[in-house]
Amino acid sequence: MKVVLQNLTKIFPSRNKKSNEEVVAVNDFTFTIPDGKLIGLLGPSGCGKSTTLYMISGLQKPSGGQIFFGDEDVTELSAENRGVGLVFQNYALYPHMTVKQNILFPLQNLRGEDKLSKEEMLERAYTAAKLVQIDELMDRKPSELSGGQQQRVAIARALVKMPKVLLLDEPLSNLDARLRLQTREEIRRIQKETGITTIFVTHDQEEAMSISDMIVVMKLGVVQQIGKPQDVYDDPTNLFVAKFLGTPPINVFEGKVAGGKLYLDGVEVLDVPGVADQDVTVGIRPEGFTLDENGPMVCGLNSVEVMGRDVSVVSTHPASVNSVIRSIIDADNKVAAAETVSYSLKPHKVFLFSKQDESRIYFDI
Amino acid sequence: MVESKHSWKAWLYLAPAIVLLLVFTVWPIINTVRLAFLEDYNSSMAIGGATYEFGIRNFAKVLQYKDFINCLTNTILLCVLTVPLSTILALLIAVCLKQIKPLQRALQTIFFLPYVTNSIAIGMVFAAMFNMVGSAFGGENELIITAGIINNVIEFFGGQPINWINSGSAYWANIVVMVVYIVWNALPFKILILLGGLQSINTQYYDAAKVDGTRRARVFTRITVPLLSPMLAYVVITGFIGGFKEYSSIVGIFGEKMGPAGDPGRLNTMVGFIYDALAGDHTGRASAAALILFGIILVVTLINLQVSKKNTHY
Amino acid sequence: MSNINKTMAEKDIRLVSSKQKFGHFLGQFFVYFFLIVMAIIVLFPFYWMLISSVKSLDEYRLAVPTLFPREILWGNYVTAFNQANLGTLFLNTLYVGVVSTILSLVITVLSAFAFARLEFKGKNTMFAALLATMMIPGELFTITNYVTVNQLGWMKTYTVLIVPFLVSVFYIYLLRQNFMQIPNELYLAAKVDGTSDLKYLWKVMIPLALPTLISITILKMMGAWNSYVWPRLVANDAAHQLITNGLRNAFTDASGQADIPVQMAAVAIVSLPLFLVFVFLRKYIMKGVSRGGLKG
Repeated sequence: MKVVLQNLTKIFPSRNKKSNEEVVAVNDFTFTIPDGKLIGLLGPSGCGKSTTLYMISGLQKPSGGQIFFGDEDVTELSAENRGVGLVFQNYALYPHMTVKQNILFPLQNLRGEDKLSKEEMLERAYTAAKLVQIDELMDRKPSELSGGQQQRVAIARALVKMPKVLLLDEPLSNLDARLRLQTREEIRRIQKETGITTIFVTHDQEEAMSISDMIVVMKLGVVQQIGKPQDVYDDPTNLFVAKFLGTPPINVFEGKVAGGKLYLDGVEVLDVPGVADQDVTVGIRPEGFTLDENGPMVCGLNSVEVMGRDVSVVSTHPASVNSVIRSIIDADNKVAAAETVSYSLKPHKVFLFSKQDESRIYFDI
Repeated sequence: MVESKHSWKAWLYLAPAIVLLLVFTVWPIINTVRLAFLEDYNSSMAIGGATYEFGIRNFAKVLQYKDFINCLTNTILLCVLTVPLSTILALLIAVCLKQIKPLQRALQTIFFLPYVTNSIAIGMVFAAMFNMVGSAFGGENELIITAGIINNVIEFFGGQPINWINSGSAYWANIVVMVVYIVWNALPFKILILLGGLQSINTQYYDAAKVDGTRRARVFTRITVPLLSPMLAYVVITGFIGGFKEYSSIVGIFGEKMGPAGDPGRLNTMVGFIYDALAGDHTGRASAAALILFGIILVVTLINLQVSKKNTHY
Repeated sequence: MSNINKTMAEKDIRLVSSKQKFGHFLGQFFVYFFLIVMAIIVLFPFYWMLISSVKSLDEYRLAVPTLFPREILWGNYVTAFNQANLGTLFLNTLYVGVVSTILSLVITVLSAFAFARLEFKGKNTMFAALLATMMIPGELFTITNYVTVNQLGWMKTYTVLIVPFLVSVFYIYLLRQNFMQIPNELYLAAKVDGTSDLKYLWKVMIPLALPTLISITILKMMGAWNSYVWPRLVANDAAHQLITNGLRNAFTDASGQADIPVQMAAVAIVSLPLFLVFVFLRKYIMKGVSRGGLKG
């Protein structure tokens, strides 16, 4: 099922009665989510990603705009009539029911022509449970399960009624690091197997990048960029997106463009044809550095962290906004123990941003 | 916690409480048991130096007493009728209050109002409402002029007026009046506790149910009631404990004679029985009755706890 | 997972949408209807009390009762006040209420402080024993207390109305819990500064625990105002009678001849202080009650 968001807006009235300040949680969000894809809504807390998810679920009513499932306008439909599956951040498993009862619960709500027989319900419940590999735990209570198992039950409960859209609110935030890795693969697998259009919310860029077909980066209610994870990473539209994606994070510098050349701390480091003369903010991905004895970027060497395949070099540069810059280079390259280290830059890993509005300034490579 | 070398200080602070508790709480517990087993103990005579033998005649006398069986029946009947009724009503009101936004606070205040009333005083209001004004059964020249507001309402809907509490009234009519009054009185506490319980249930459960298209009735029976079960158990248990000690609400409606005119003691309860025995200087019998009451309350509470353990989901 | 359930496409989306709106409206309608009907039932006795209290006896006895009095007869209140001797009853109750509240607060504060802040042998046993007494119904105490006060020669005095119920284990428990929440560092700091226990109690603990103390004060005062059983047993003479007993006794002839408007006026007078307390201090009452205080 294709999901279309059209000029979706959510305004919360001010909590403080005296001031009339409204909070715009989501501002004019337009996006078509293709059928059968896994979409990650990504952004820092308070960016409106959860609100967007709840509006799609029907639990919150938009202040403006429309939501379509397929060709149908479901904006006015309340949650119970939308046929979505929702996995809550805290799972919201009913504590007094067993796993089986929890999974059966949505099926028992079906009425009229949708009503299922007992056998059909059980069969569906076991199919869903097998899909998330919890069919051994059907008679346990949620309190007897680990966090990861509870998560799976929550997903099974959302999937059992075969929703048109599956929504996951911070699905991994309550799991420990190892389980998180495992579970995100799991979510990807389940989504692929069922082919259900899935939207999930996360503040963890790595999580979103690793499993999504597409990601939506949001900030303060405004969509910053939509695209395939790699495309967004390789081609951020503004400084915020560039900074938000990637580990280690992008290195940011204060720079200057003059005569089609980029200067950092007065030193010419890169040709940037087609850019007008101005002060710019420069973002360089950690992998955008190449060791080069004659390279234009001379940095003070702090430390070298060997990470097996790669080497992470921590160094300083006068033009850097942060106290240190981090570069990732191939472990085949040996970094000599010295006071300084010199780099040349890979042009496609260097992004220029306007000083005024932080938007991207493109140059020809 | 501070290590104090002067632990005598702590005891000094506690002294007034301890002295009073020893005299008026601890000693009574021991003594009441003792008195219950002293044959026909009478406190006035005991002051005069009379001594009593050890035995269980007090208990035997209590159980043989016709009034006692009557009191026990009344108490149990009122308990069994009022506790479920008030709990269900309070649950419905609390659930409805939880669902609304405008008027919620105002209605909540109204429903709590009966809590801060004097049960004797408002009992007199209920008595007036159920009363027949100018009794045909009373003075010689009296005529029924109006049948009382409750009867007026019944007549308005085409019913026959009922003699609720006056002389010659039926037992069941008396019980109905008591049930109405006791339920009215019991609602505020139960609503307060249940609403508090409802407000502490995570709203995500309701969101989850909504997304799954659960009907209201099913949300109520499958989610609200189970998640509220600890609170429900609490109000039921305290309701039964209070119910077995029912006394002043009956005084409020029927006066100290504990019954309609011409049939005093008809609606007497266990606690009333104890006080009557005490006022009549049958201290031993009163003690025995109090121990029996304590035993009943204990057993009922244990049964309640056992039942709620099976049905409470935490 | 084929066999996808019937999608919205097969149903008429508009129908569902309007049905859902109507259902919601209907649901809310019934909820409000039920609540308002219940609220009217809850309020009706108060209303009936008030309008009856200003009716003439003739108007009260009309075959078709008036829902609003034709003529407001304030005189009923004067009659009620004199007939039931409410002035004396009021003063008696106020005296017993104030004295027992003050003494009770002092005892409760001292005990709660000892349990919350001081260290002494047998503290936990002592506290547990105290809590255990809460399980026993009060009727069990009444019998022996009746004998005891008789032997002490306290019958028909104010003392008998005040002393036996000064200590409430529940209030000690409530206040101790409240004191425990106050960080111990404050106490240590006071000790370092050489502040005495009592001064610390007065300057720090009591102000911080004020809401609980107010709750206790209100519940205790209400207790005196509403107490009936014990005063009836031990001090039911004219000089010491409390308001509830006096009220019930003054109109004890519950046959049809009673002048109900005057009776209702008396009930209204007795209810008024409670009502005022409720209006202005509801928050404290509800807090105290919801933490486990039962009526009485």
